Amino acid sequence: MSARDYLGEFEHVIVLALLRLDDQAYGVTVRQEIELRTKREVSIGAVYATLDRLETKGYVKSRRGDPTPERGGRSKRFFRVTAKGVAAVNRTHRALQSLVEGLDLGLARSYS
Amino acid sequence: MTAQANYAQPPRAAIWLVNQFASGEAAESILGDLLEEFFHLTSKSGAAFAGRWFWRQSLKTVAQLAVAGFRAAPWSTAAAVAGGFLLDRFLHSMPDKALSAVTDRYLLFWSSHFQAYLWLLNGMVFLHLASSLLIGCMVALTAKGRELIATLTLVLVFCAMMSAAFFWIAMHRPVDIPWMLWSCADPFAIVAGGAIVRTRRSAATSLTSAA
Repeated sequence: MSARDYLGEFEHVIVLALLRLDDQAYGVTVRQEIELRTKREVSIGAVYATLDRLETKGYVKSRRGDPTPERGGRSKRFFRVTAKGVAAVNRTHRALQSLVEGLDLGLARSYS
Repeated sequence: MTAQANYAQPPRAAIWLVNQFASGEAAESILGDLLEEFFHLTSKSGAAFAGRWFWRQSLKTVAQLAVAGFRAAPWSTAAAVAGGFLLDRFLHSMPDKALSAVTDRYLLFWSSHFQAYLWLLNGMVFLHLASSLLIGCMVALTAKGRELIATLTLVLVFCAMMSAAFFWIAMHRPVDIPWMLWSCADPFAIVAGGAIVRTRRSAATSLTSAA
């Protein structure tokens, strides 16, 4: 994995949601946090597909919780961001900031 | 959970569908999350709304899992699909060749056994369906863990070919709607074969983990 790897748009959103939720981050809370903050409906499948990809890259780690009755006896899968994941977020932020620097977005010319 | 949430049942078909595309551990966490939100929504907005939400989420989830599954192992999935395609070309031509061989040999007798000839022709249609089911099973057996993804990809290839063929036929000959509809049965049989293998494997995995 290259040290210059940046997070994709949805990967970025997911990692930030995990950081906000801390030790309460699992499928339901991650999905709800994204919907609440971004006003965008996301599927649980999209969340898991991205989390699995991030775990393969070593940016997040997961652990199993206990089974609960309100989940039909199924267990939760909790996620947390690794140090490598935090570094990737910072790298992505710095790249985006350097792109935004010097731009006056409020006065940006519109072609519409 | 309220009393209504206790009595509400999530759509079984949607649960079955998610189970077809998610592996054991992933299926447990994904379905657990879906059920948790379903019961919450049932007590908040009613069973009908929660049911619709569950279906919408399940279909989107299945689409995501299918794409992610293909991306995770594109070459082995593509190899299973290519193998299925070749097997289909080989198996589907066999009943026709066998019938041609028999009719050529005993051509003189067919006029007095016309009913038997018709019976054979109808039997061929079912042989085609059985071979499609077998192809679906073979592809699913090869694509371990991605049974439905592989069979659906194969079906997409066939559907594209069939659409092109239907279009060509429609441009050059009168359209035979019943024949066209009957031709669509083969893709369903392929997916059914994949679903059978997947269901059997899931059941075997559940039994092993329970033991």
